[in-house]
Amino acid sequence: MRQGYLRQVSVIARWELLRTLTTMGRGVLPAAIVLFILLVAASGFAAGSGVHLQDGIYRVGTDNTLAGQIIAEDTRFTVYTGTSAQISQSRLFYDVVILGNNVYYSDNEKGRAALTALERVYERYTALISAEEPDLYAAYPLWIDRRYEQSELDFTATERGERISPVPQRDAPTPRGPVQEVATPEPSVPHEPEVLREEITRSARQDDTVARYTSVIGQESELGTFRTPAQLAPPLPYDSIILIFVFIFPLYFTSQFYMMSIMNERIERRGEILLSAPYHPSAIIIGKAVPYFFLMIAISLVIILITALPLVVILPLIPVILFFLAAALAIGMLARSFKELSFLSIFFSTLATSYLFFPSIFANVHVVSLISPLTLVVLQIQGDAFGLTDYLYSTSLFFLTAGILLYMGAKNYTEERLFSLHQLIPRTLEFISACISKRYPVVSLGLLGALAIPFVFMAQMMALVLFFNLPMPLSLLLMIGYAAATEEVAKSIGIFTLAKILPGGLSWRLVFLGSAATALGFVAGEKLLLFATIAQVTESVFGSILFLSLDLLWMPFLLHAVCVAVIAIALKAGGFRWYIPGIFLATIIHVLYNLAVLGVIGL
Amino acid sequence: MKQRHVAVVAKKELAGIYREKTIVFAILLQLFIALFSSFLMVGLTTMYDPDALAGVRGFQYGVGYVGLEEGDLYSIIDDRRDLAVYQMDLNTAIAALKERQLSAVLWVSASPPDGEGPVLLTLYTLQNDMQAAIVEVKMKEVFLEYEAMLREIRSDRLTMEPIRLTFPEGAGTSNYFEFVFGLLIPLLIFMPAIISAALVIDLICEEYQSGTLETLLSTTVTYTEMLWGKIMTCILIVPIQSAAWLALLAANGIVVDAPFAMLLHVIAGSFVLILIGAFCALHYRERTSAQFIFSTAVVVVIITAMSVPYNPLNILVRLGVGTMGSIHWLVLAGMIALGALLVLFLNRYADQISRLPLTTR
Repeated sequence: MRQGYLRQVSVIARWELLRTLTTMGRGVLPAAIVLFILLVAASGFAAGSGVHLQDGIYRVGTDNTLAGQIIAEDTRFTVYTGTSAQISQSRLFYDVVILGNNVYYSDNEKGRAALTALERVYERYTALISAEEPDLYAAYPLWIDRRYEQSELDFTATERGERISPVPQRDAPTPRGPVQEVATPEPSVPHEPEVLREEITRSARQDDTVARYTSVIGQESELGTFRTPAQLAPPLPYDSIILIFVFIFPLYFTSQFYMMSIMNERIERRGEILLSAPYHPSAIIIGKAVPYFFLMIAISLVIILITALPLVVILPLIPVILFFLAAALAIGMLARSFKELSFLSIFFSTLATSYLFFPSIFANVHVVSLISPLTLVVLQIQGDAFGLTDYLYSTSLFFLTAGILLYMGAKNYTEERLFSLHQLIPRTLEFISACISKRYPVVSLGLLGALAIPFVFMAQMMALVLFFNLPMPLSLLLMIGYAAATEEVAKSIGIFTLAKILPGGLSWRLVFLGSAATALGFVAGEKLLLFATIAQVTESVFGSILFLSLDLLWMPFLLHAVCVAVIAIALKAGGFRWYIPGIFLATIIHVLYNLAVLGVIGL
Repeated sequence: MKQRHVAVVAKKELAGIYREKTIVFAILLQLFIALFSSFLMVGLTTMYDPDALAGVRGFQYGVGYVGLEEGDLYSIIDDRRDLAVYQMDLNTAIAALKERQLSAVLWVSASPPDGEGPVLLTLYTLQNDMQAAIVEVKMKEVFLEYEAMLREIRSDRLTMEPIRLTFPEGAGTSNYFEFVFGLLIPLLIFMPAIISAALVIDLICEEYQSGTLETLLSTTVTYTEMLWGKIMTCILIVPIQSAAWLALLAANGIVVDAPFAMLLHVIAGSFVLILIGAFCALHYRERTSAQFIFSTAVVVVIITAMSVPYNPLNILVRLGVGTMGSIHWLVLAGMIALGALLVLFLNRYADQISRLPLTTR
């Protein structure tokens, strides 16, 4: 008797939840509770005694005992006191030397770093003394009201591949757009001197690097936007580092349980019972994922509540959660052993974290930053609501890749595939081959070409983020080469797999028809995804490399077809040894074509 | 316990790691993070120090100045080579800032420099922006200079006498030394230790969960020999990975001071972590629980360690920057003693576990 699909999913989900709770309850929960108490205690201990990671990295030599005592309060400095003759004699030993009231530093990277750190320490010391002055406005005559303005993203400036930069000019610039009325700032500091005093003392006592990070998700200065010059700390756009730690790691950690759950089905053929039950493979996969999905959503919501962020922030996290679960499924199905599982998951987490993290550094600087859903969170924290287009643009790749991985998982959730113990790369190819029908190889190749697109985009976006801040000609060349190589590899996988699984290898008919079909699928997929999302990126010069001349569809089609054919012919004529050289040759052709279209070389 | 048997088991595991090509993933991972650290070095330093980019000499940031008169502050900004100051009205200046034609706008209140009350300035920059961070650093220098001038003017009203230190001019700043040597390097070089500790759990739990332990123990290999073979494997791959790290960092132009001493400390630290991992694995004999408990335990151990002076990670930092005396041999000896103590416990515990039926918990 077959049940409805939803019912199947819910049965599996309940079963999975029960099983996790029972295994967890038996020995893990008590230990976890003890460890959690220890964790709180350890954090309290660390908060009390400070983090001693950078102790004693600088050496200071001085004949000024008083100054030495002040500096020694910062654990980064080891202070040696002596007579000026002694100190001068061994001056190479020190990073900074203080003789009398004069500070000297050794002229290298470390000496400069020591000097910078020392200046901070000294600033803090004088601030504490001056806060005690009876006439506060004599000690602190200057107050700065710090205001931030929103800027419209401007991509024309990044066309040159450099940072956005106003061109120096003789006269004051005149705005191109309409000028709006701005409220005149306060003419006086709206706080009592006593409040100011307290705030100066407080900020001098706390470590400003920590303050910079905690101010993202923590307390603001008592004085709102008012600062003394010494209190100005550049607002590093590193909110995303914190976000990564706060949001992404718990999610990644939870997805590990799903990975293990899938892996456990494959140990000692335990999953056979489920497979023999009248359940659809995709129902099994989704059902097993459901508890973890809701757990991850719950964890995110708790974090959002704790950090007092708007609830909307959950929206960009949903595709990330799905993507993590899909990747966990793929890794759990691919890995042959526990150690392979560990390495694959570490490797994946590094890649995924970078993909999420790098772009969000450039929030407000470059449109490329929007390829990471985290950027939306950063924008939301700033108080910029993101629109539907932004949301689609930054999350569609995550939704698509997650969907495709889940589809591949469902296709492959069979006895033959789950319990085979082939090596990683052959196994991966087997998985792909499950999506190729031997009866209609050409159609399958076309579809595979289209399915490869989101992954290719992800790989290219990753590189784009890494390359776009290198100097201009170099970054362009790197980007062109890399983009071509990823596309060639992605397109050739289908043909390569076919050559492996077909009993007679490739036929010449298949070589040509298959190449054409792959190219067709690839171009179609590219077009569709671009229309859906990335029209914005195409406006910058890097976008134009990735998505060259889409108005002339037959040209890219011909290029892709020729390149795939080169690899297919290499496979047919030379066998598998010629696969890598084939890719290499195809990449070169691809790069030359790109350069020609860009007008760098004439044809 | 026969060394020959331990070596046989270790060889088997090493061959397994090599055959599965997972080590290739580990190396790829290292390359990737090395790329990441060089990106941090190149990308971020150029963003923070525009002069570092060749061909951007004479680069100027525009500052809109909204004030009544061209006083000291105006001339301080005007004298700087990296800032161009324009006298403007507030509305136009803000509009130009939003269009990124200016990097900052400064509104100056009309209070006199020698007056009773404070001199108030309002500084506008763009929010959450790389460039705004650069400009703010430059404006901070301007403000500090102006503040010193105002203090001079009002100095007859001051009573305190702090120690005076005169700092050298124009030394430049170094933002990344501390980040790279004080955070990135200890984390990266210690990562193989954490990976290895997770690996020992995988190796032990796998024998239990896939039912291969019975076969292994039916040979002449004893339970303890099996355990130590696996532990040895995990320790062996740590220095290889950490050395690869240091080599990659050196290729990126980041050279540490005492690489060999650092490797010794990493080996000692990883030994302790691997033993903790082995405890978890023996206790649960099931990967999910063991890894979960282990990763939480590692966080506790590392946080606790970091809050003690002369902890192993701090030793690594000091060795990296070359400010470590010979005291680190003492710490190393302490770590080895701790390891030896754990070995005693582990052997007794393994003895107990080996008498249990070969099932997971």
